[in-house]
Amino acid sequence: MARNKVKQTGVMSDWSLRIGVFILVALSWQVSAVFMKNMLIPTVTETISGFIQLVFVSGRIWQPLYISNQAIVLGYILSVVIAIPLGLAAGRVRWIDKVLNPYIGVFLAIPIAPLIPIAITALGLGLASRVAIVFLFTFIFITVNTRAGVRNVDAGLVEMARSFGANEKQIWHRIVIPSAVPAIFAGLRIGLGRAVAGMVIVELLLVASGLGRLLLEFAGRLQADFVFATVLVVIIEALLLLSAMRFAEQKVAPWAHDSSME
Amino acid sequence: MIQVRGLSKEFLGRDGEGTGVLAIDSLDFEVRDNEFLTVIGPSGCGKTTLLRIIAGLIPFNDGEVSIDDVAVTGPGPDRAVVFQNFALMPWADVLTNVAFGLEIRGKPKAECEATAMRLVRLVGLEGFERRLPKELSGGMQQRVGLARALAVNPRILLMDEPFGALDEQTRRLLQEQLLRIWDRERKTVIFITHSMEEAVLLGDRVMLMTPRPGRVKEIIEVPLKRPRGQETEKSTTFTEIKEYLWENLRSMQVLDQRGEA
Repeated sequence: MARNKVKQTGVMSDWSLRIGVFILVALSWQVSAVFMKNMLIPTVTETISGFIQLVFVSGRIWQPLYISNQAIVLGYILSVVIAIPLGLAAGRVRWIDKVLNPYIGVFLAIPIAPLIPIAITALGLGLASRVAIVFLFTFIFITVNTRAGVRNVDAGLVEMARSFGANEKQIWHRIVIPSAVPAIFAGLRIGLGRAVAGMVIVELLLVASGLGRLLLEFAGRLQADFVFATVLVVIIEALLLLSAMRFAEQKVAPWAHDSSME
Repeated sequence: MIQVRGLSKEFLGRDGEGTGVLAIDSLDFEVRDNEFLTVIGPSGCGKTTLLRIIAGLIPFNDGEVSIDDVAVTGPGPDRAVVFQNFALMPWADVLTNVAFGLEIRGKPKAECEATAMRLVRLVGLEGFERRLPKELSGGMQQRVGLARALAVNPRILLMDEPFGALDEQTRRLLQEQLLRIWDRERKTVIFITHSMEEAVLLGDRVMLMTPRPGRVKEIIEVPLKRPRGQETEKSTTFTEIKEYLWENLRSMQVLDQRGEA
């Protein structure tokens, strides 16, 4: 009982701290925006009213949001479907890892944005390009994390399984894959954030559609409040997706919630 | 009966070739059926290596290891290991961990569960079946490890410093519990330990090993009557054997330090 109480006050002070910091940031934003009188930087209240306008009153955000999310959903699913088996294989089979390793290095090192024109030349200005870019932004992090999860399997557990006569297949299914789950989820979370970023970047840079197009349109008309409100929508979406992922992780892997990524 | 004849084990150097470390050098001993053999020696005497060889987990260079005249070539259903660091699956609850060995051996699910339940009760973890390892104390975790080993009903129990990571009080309680279980279900036990008290309290015989390379220095009979418990430790025989072990271990440590300098 006593322990529960301590825990609860801990959560409470966490939240009051968060809210406190938020209010502080919002206040300084508001004050500086008012004093600067720069028409390109809206105040907090203008941003919020723009947000309400876009989301609830005119509802202009929904159609572009839907379009953008097509790319996220398809690109992310493609990433997961390819990256997890790739990471598992690289973590387990030596020669696959040796073959893949230079490419993994390349994909970790290069910035993705310069690849956007290439993707567009190859795939055109449609959904396919956007999906490809989201995929490129995401898959390497899921692959690398999955591989790390497989590699960092506790050697003591493998030995324990062998002592009971487990064969390679049983070790793989009963020990290695479950051990890798927390690391895979870490990769999925990083990948999700990157997917949102990748989507907006490609829409801003070349394929004018969805939220990126909306942002360019507002910026062109100097509607700073709507620009900020759209960015706010992107942030909220990213946060919602991440907490959904965290929820899934707690359901699937309750033994090892990695709090460092919160 | 477990027979070890002229056993040698060399760990290879970093390059995977020669100039390695001789961990065990021509070891000879036997363990009788249903005997409790404790093995003690300073660190670096190869006692854990020896246990892993008997478990069939690692190969050896020279000599023979056999159980009832059958050579050991790998892990087998006649043996089960209790590990120093418990080696529990962190994602699986107590019952699943205890049933692990049975499931690996392809026993039907209902049987696995029933046996695991019986063992959970035997080690006194009733009510904790659905807990995860991280929700248990170290002592409880090792009871899970013990239950998992006993669940496959091995004739030989190989214990690698099983209580080494536990605090003194927990360790004593688990020693008593192990003795009670062993009195009821006799098995051949090889028990590696660092603790002289533990070696004498548990063992029918204590095997004393020397370090670098590991050799058998002496095997000492422990003529203390069973069941053993708190009273045992007050007897003069207990103290004498313990003192004798300490004299030997101490001289090895001193020699070792000179050797290193």
